[in-house]
Amino acid sequence: MSKKTDTTRRAIVGATVGVGLGLGAISMLVPIGALKPKKEVTPETEPPKKGDVFVFAEGDKKGDEITFADLPKGGPFVLAFPKDPKTGVIKNGERNNMVLLIRLDPGELSPETAEYAADGTVAYSAICTHLGCTVSDWVADKGDLLCPCHKGIYDPRQGAKVVGGPPPRPLPALPIQTEGDKPVCAGGFTSPVGVVAGLEPQGGSCAV
Amino acid sequence: MYRWLDERLSLSRFNKKFLRKAFPVHHSFFLGEITMFAFITLVLTGIFLTFNYEPSSRLIKYMGRELPAAYASILYIDSLPFGAVLRSVHHWSANVMIAAAFLHMLRILISGAYKKPRELNWLLGLALLGLSVVTAFTGYSLPFDAFSVTATQIGYGIGASMPYIGEWVSQLIFGGEYPTLHSIPRVYSLHVLWFPLLLMALIGAHMLIMIKQKHTQPAYAEKVAPGKILGVPMMPQQGYMMGVLFLLYLAVVFFIGGSYIAHPVEAFGPPTASTPAVKPDWYFLWIYGILQIIPGDLKIPLPFGAAINSEFIGGVLVPGLLGIAAVLLPFLDTRRTKQRYMELPTRHPVRTSVTFALIAFLLTTSLAGWKQEFGFSNLQLWTIIIVGTLATYLASYLIIVSYWGKAPKGEAGELEEA
Repeated sequence: MSKKTDTTRRAIVGATVGVGLGLGAISMLVPIGALKPKKEVTPETEPPKKGDVFVFAEGDKKGDEITFADLPKGGPFVLAFPKDPKTGVIKNGERNNMVLLIRLDPGELSPETAEYAADGTVAYSAICTHLGCTVSDWVADKGDLLCPCHKGIYDPRQGAKVVGGPPPRPLPALPIQTEGDKPVCAGGFTSPVGVVAGLEPQGGSCAV
Repeated sequence: MYRWLDERLSLSRFNKKFLRKAFPVHHSFFLGEITMFAFITLVLTGIFLTFNYEPSSRLIKYMGRELPAAYASILYIDSLPFGAVLRSVHHWSANVMIAAAFLHMLRILISGAYKKPRELNWLLGLALLGLSVVTAFTGYSLPFDAFSVTATQIGYGIGASMPYIGEWVSQLIFGGEYPTLHSIPRVYSLHVLWFPLLLMALIGAHMLIMIKQKHTQPAYAEKVAPGKILGVPMMPQQGYMMGVLFLLYLAVVFFIGGSYIAHPVEAFGPPTASTPAVKPDWYFLWIYGILQIIPGDLKIPLPFGAAINSEFIGGVLVPGLLGIAAVLLPFLDTRRTKQRYMELPTRHPVRTSVTFALIAFLLTTSLAGWKQEFGFSNLQLWTIIIVGTLATYLASYLIIVSYWGKAPKGEAGELEEA
C-alpha cells in the first residue's frame, strides 16, 4: 500500500467525521432554541382586559375587590391585580399584570392622562421600566411614584413621565372606566410592560 | 503499602516532579490560596445545602403557612443542627472568595505578573473572577425570599436590557420572564452543577499552567540568587503552611458564620408584591451605584428599533468595558523577554496609579449606592466619581515619581532585560 493511498484514506475519514460532527452541531440549534421556555397562558396569567375589576395585591385586604372608597384622594397608591369578574380568577400568575391604582384630583391631570382616567383615578403598570422592580414607594410631599431599587421617579399626573432617576420610559398606563363604585379596566396597557431593550417612550399600541 | 502503590503508579516520579515544586515565600502569594480554600469550603457546605434544599417556587404548606417550597426548605435548613451556621459559612465564603480573587488579581496587576509568558493565566484568572461573581449572583435567587426575588429581578432586567439578544439570554438563564415556575430549577442547575464544574475546570487549568510556568519570583529573589528559583517545596513545607492557613480560614469563617447569620430569610420574608428595601452585596454596589446615577434619557439608537439604554450602560457596558480593558492589558503592556521576577509597583508609576484610580472609581461608584441616604444629586456624585478617580491617579503618580523616580535602576528583572 503506497503512502499516498494512506493519506487519501485519512482525508476521507477525516472529512466524513468532520461533516458528521458539523451536521450534528447544526442540529443542536433546535434544542438550544427550545431552551427559551414556552409561555403558557392560563386564566391566571392572561393580560388584563376590558371589564376586569381590581383586587388588592397585598396587605390585610389582599384579594378583596377595590372600590373608589378604598383609594385615598391624592394618594398614596394601591398595588393591585386584575380579576375577571365572570370567572372570579385573579390574574396574579403573571407579575407583569400588577398595576398601581391612584386617585388624584381630576383637575391636576394632563389632558393625555385624563383620557385613561376615570374620576381622577389612573392605573399604571407597577413594573419599573428600568429593571423590573415593583414601583412601590410613594413620595408624599411631591405626590410622585418611586421605585426603591434604583430611585426612578414617575409623575402620575403626567402619564407617569420619568421625573427623576434612570428609567428609560414612562410606566405604561392601563385605561380605567367607572362601573358602579369600582374602577374597572377599559383596555390593555398603552405600551409594553417591564424591561424592553431599546424601546422608545412612544412604543407599543393601545391594545384591545 | 507505599512501595506497592509506587510500583504500580510510579509515585516517586510524581513526587519528584510535582510535590517538590518550589513555592516562593511572600505574604501576598497567599491570596490565590485563600480563594481556593473558600471554593473548597463552598463546595463542601454546598453539598450539605443541596441535600436539604428544594428547588421549586411552588407554594406548599409548611408549619401551617403557605410558602414557596424553596423558601420553606431554607427555614428547614436553618432549623437543622448547625444548619444555619453552614448556610452562613456558605454565604460568607462566597464573599471571601470574591474578595480574595479580586485582591489576588490586584497583586498580579501591580507586580506586572500578567506579562509574557503568563498572559493565558491572566485571562483564565479574569474568567474565574467573572464566573465567581456570576455564580454568587445565581445563588442569590435560591432562597426565594422577598430580597432574593427582587435582586434576581434586577439581574433579569440587566440581561434583558442588552440590545437584540437580551430577552432571549435572560429568558434562557432565568426560565422565562422571571419569576416563573421554571426559574428556580434552571438557576439551581446553573448554581450547583454547571458553574461549579466550569469553575473547577478553570481552576485546574489555572493551577496546571502555574505549575508549568512557575511562579513569578518576588523581587528579592533576584538579589539573593539571580537566575535561580527560590522557594520552599510543595511537600512538606508549603503543604503544612497551606494546611495551617486552611484551618485558620475555616476558624475565621465559622466564627463569623456562627456569630452572624447570613441572609436571614425570615427577616426578609416570603416574596411580596411591593419591593423590600434592598441593597446588593458589596461586590455589586458599584454597579448598583452607577445604575442609579445614569439619567434615563440617555439613549443611543441602534438599527432595527433597538437602542442602548441607561440600564444597559450601567449594568453591562461599564463592567464590560472594564473587563475588555483587563483582557487586552497583557497584549498592550508587553515585554520581549519572559518575565521571571515581579516588577516593583514604584518602578511602574503609570500602571500603579491606574490601579489606585480603579480602586478609587470602584469606591466612589459604590458611594453612589447610598445616593438616597446621603441625599446626593447625580451631578454631585458624578463630580465625586470623576474628580476622585482622576485626583487619585494624579496624586499617586506624583508621589511615586517624586519619591522613587530617581531610585537606581536594575530591579525587578531589569538586569535580565539589559
